[in-house]
Amino acid sequence: MAENKWGMIVDIDKCIGCQACVVACQSENNIPINEEGHFNQRRAIEWIRIERYWEGEFPNVRARFVPVFCQQCDDAPCEPVCPVYATYHNSEGLNVQVYNRCIGTRFCANNCPYQARFFNFWEPEWPESLKNQLNPDVTVRSRGIMEKCTFCIQRIRRSTREAAKDGQEVEDGDRGMSPACVNACPTHALTFGNLDDSDSAISKQSKEELKQPAGSRPGGRGYHMLEHLGTHPNVVYLKKVDKTAEEHEVHG
Amino acid sequence: MIPGDFQVKKPTSKQLAIFGTLGVVGLGSFVAIALGLTWIVSAWLGMPVIFAHDQGPTQPIAFPHPTHVQDLGLDCTFCHRNVTEGAAATIPSAGLCLTCHQVVGDGLEQIENMREQVADDRPIDWVRVHRVPDHVHFVHEAHIRRFSGVKTVVEEWTDPNEQAGEIRLGEALRIDPSVSVGQTMEIAEAQVCSVCHGDVGSMATVEQVRPLKMGDCVDCHRDNGAPTDCTTCHY
Repeated sequence: MAENKWGMIVDIDKCIGCQACVVACQSENNIPINEEGHFNQRRAIEWIRIERYWEGEFPNVRARFVPVFCQQCDDAPCEPVCPVYATYHNSEGLNVQVYNRCIGTRFCANNCPYQARFFNFWEPEWPESLKNQLNPDVTVRSRGIMEKCTFCIQRIRRSTREAAKDGQEVEDGDRGMSPACVNACPTHALTFGNLDDSDSAISKQSKEELKQPAGSRPGGRGYHMLEHLGTHPNVVYLKKVDKTAEEHEVHG
Repeated sequence: MIPGDFQVKKPTSKQLAIFGTLGVVGLGSFVAIALGLTWIVSAWLGMPVIFAHDQGPTQPIAFPHPTHVQDLGLDCTFCHRNVTEGAAATIPSAGLCLTCHQVVGDGLEQIENMREQVADDRPIDWVRVHRVPDHVHFVHEAHIRRFSGVKTVVEEWTDPNEQAGEIRLGEALRIDPSVSVGQTMEIAEAQVCSVCHGDVGSMATVEQVRPLKMGDCVDCHRDNGAPTDCTTCHY
């Protein structure tokens, strides 16, 4: 069986901040409805969030969007602090949260520089009309345990299984493997795939974009979020192509 | 006598009798509690007390598996249609029962009841016998795929490359009690079910025969070279 190392590319240049990924994630992963009070207490659960930044002065204000979710770090700060081994790295390069092991110390969330881990402060509740839309492939997390983005591992498992049924190995985006956020993105700002497969679109693109500038060749747009912390994330961000900034540079 | 000097008072025979009785009663109740706790703990460890019953639950309609499986020779997959396709084995809708029972079984109380329910558009509230917790994702299809087909019976699973054509004696015996090591057997999809569910075809009331706890799953996964990563089942 081929080795898999799942990763994601986020092209910030393409992100329009529409929040479709957020909605898709909430409904795919049985995330409880976040009410205003939850946000005010900073206890809202959103496995993927769009961070919004304002740039410039009125009237030339521009909004910048950065989708942030669990970076599935290779050297994840959340892992060594778990006293019960409820979060660990599996062979597919995923940072895994085992719900039934978690005892809710919240050390991992405190240690996560991306704020991508969320604690269930309440028993999850849905209005009666939404009870039947719960995804049966995803555990409903009860009160007192930690949760976070899984790269929609239920979809990875299902598509791998369906490929095995036909005697094949799963390929990127094959059989609905991509996470819900990737499928929902209208501008294809998110790309999901196997970083260990040298033929996959994502591994080629990330290699190309992460190149440092050398001589006359400009560097790629790729970077890792909070790179200096040495967490070695499996998510590559591609920075915004800013025409006005370039002009500014040339003429300024 | 120096003040504070301690003199041992000899207990009277009456006091001795009281102490003796108290001691015996105390020891007796300690042993009783200890035995009781041991029994509870061993019952918890040994039997599926939480998610199953000692005997199968009473169903709203006493569906006789022996009649359908042993006498009529129906496959498990005839009714549990999704079992080779996906995660859940699924209980058939009453419509499937009616393909035969529209004409078969006139006058039998249970069948008349069922027809009445279907006519009223009331679903049959079957009682679930096998249940794993919400945080466990068991997929029937993958397990049936692993064990069905032409297999050679081996003592222990060894080589990952040979795995597809092999079955361990332990599992093989649950499918066919007469097999021995080295024998080749062709296993139909519907025969695989008995590895975990036992011989449902002969059960008047369906009951759980294996603990189906995590230890049970992991033992089997380890013995058969299946992945034991947590996210195989928990996600």
